[in-house]
Amino acid sequence: MTNMNEVASQPGFGTSPHASGVDLGQMPAKMTVRDVNFHYGEFHAIKNIVMDVPEKKVTAIIGPSGCGKSTLLRIFNRIYAIYPNLRASGEIILDGENILDPKYSMNRLRSKVGMVFQKPVPFPMTIFENVAYGIRHHENLSRSEMESRVEQALRGAALWDEVKDKLKQSALGLSGGQQQRLCIARGIALKPEVLLLDEPTSALDPIATSRIEQLVEELKKDFTIVIVTHNMQQAARCSDMTAFMYMGELIEFDRTEKIFTKPDKKQTEDYITGRFG
Amino acid sequence: MNNPHEHIIKSYDGELKRLTGEIVRMGELAVAQLEAAIDVVERRDERAAQRVVDNDDALDALEQEVSQDVVRLLALRAPIAGDLRNVFAALRIAADIERIGDYAANVAKRSIPLSRVAPITAAGGLANLAELAADQLRNVLKAYDEQDADAAYQVWKSDADLDEAYTVVFRALLTYMMEDPRNITPCTHLLFMAKNIERIGDHATNIAENVWFVVHGEPLVAPRTKRDTTANPDFEK
Repeated sequence: MTNMNEVASQPGFGTSPHASGVDLGQMPAKMTVRDVNFHYGEFHAIKNIVMDVPEKKVTAIIGPSGCGKSTLLRIFNRIYAIYPNLRASGEIILDGENILDPKYSMNRLRSKVGMVFQKPVPFPMTIFENVAYGIRHHENLSRSEMESRVEQALRGAALWDEVKDKLKQSALGLSGGQQQRLCIARGIALKPEVLLLDEPTSALDPIATSRIEQLVEELKKDFTIVIVTHNMQQAARCSDMTAFMYMGELIEFDRTEKIFTKPDKKQTEDYITGRFG
Repeated sequence: MNNPHEHIIKSYDGELKRLTGEIVRMGELAVAQLEAAIDVVERRDERAAQRVVDNDDALDALEQEVSQDVVRLLALRAPIAGDLRNVFAALRIAADIERIGDYAANVAKRSIPLSRVAPITAAGGLANLAELAADQLRNVLKAYDEQDADAAYQVWKSDADLDEAYTVVFRALLTYMMEDPRNITPCTHLLFMAKNIERIGDHATNIAENVWFVVHGEPLVAPRTKRDTTANPDFEK
């Protein structure tokens, strides 16, 4: 199991993903995952995951199709809970509380842990309403407070300048990249602490992808980010920590620079160099 | 919207700038070392010479840092096209500058035994040779900083002048040694030092070739006139 303090005290663990010579010393974990298992009916999909997700850093989860990376991500905000026959066991401690405990309120969880999906899914509403909708569900704000919050979220998602003059237009008229940034705005509007991104740029072109990656770098100043990606280069570019999963197990979890230059496990090296049989 | 010449991902630009900054810094150190080496030969200052030798560690450390940064950049950014050439060249240029530093330190180191024997006139030719090499180095580093392939080409061509000056010094030292056996020890030191300086010039042309490659994406291939004739069979005629 990776000791976060050891990892964080090594040179190279800095504010820009790959800055060297910055020693952050003690690195608190935002989410502590302990012995998490997950079953789809009888199928044991996630096996004994133990990892510490560091606060205000980007943690990437990579692995071949079917390895369980998206499943693990969905455990972080219990989105599986709406389906019968899906069950998780173990603990995920967020701010001292186990979010897998049935007594932990789903509403509270979803306001602390936001999610953005692969396919941008704007609501069939105005751009403004897309962002305001979720806020309204959780908070009672005056009109001017709401406008300010929506603007803040759109600025945070690097979308404000492009949409400020068309907030009343349908979100469906935006480009794919803009729609995805709108989904991110929606996600951060509730001021979550953790942001889960599930293949956020798989449906986007290279430039839109780069803009989202730049946005992720800015967002991590305020949010803890977990990103699932099948694009290893993306994990290499924009994450601080990388978790490699295979067949439901966490094979290796370490600083991204280490994983991509000298991973400890041969399995990891085989996968990332494309020698996977 | 970003400036069209900036990468969308700002930290990537930051890392590339950091790398070229390290090269520029290495270059400044190497020029300073060479100038200091010339100085300690002229002043026959043993303590200053030892300082030059010790300072070479800083260049070695910088080369290590460049190597690590290059590996990191290649692994994590997968640079292509001009970015790739830049990163690749930085690795090679750092190695050349590190060797230049070694040669400068060697010159300083040899000045110590040299300063313990009576001064000889031949040492004057060395200073001229060293100035030529220092100019080459300064010019090629400027060419690198400004990504100026034409300036790099000028440095590349001018190595012939340095070779010629080396040949002159070589001949002069042979003459001194033939005149008086007491000159043999100091002249031998000077011979090595002259050779070190000539090698510095060669490394400067390597850097020039890399600058050319960064800008044009093709190697600098043209027959380079080599005017160091000391190894020619007919040299003594």
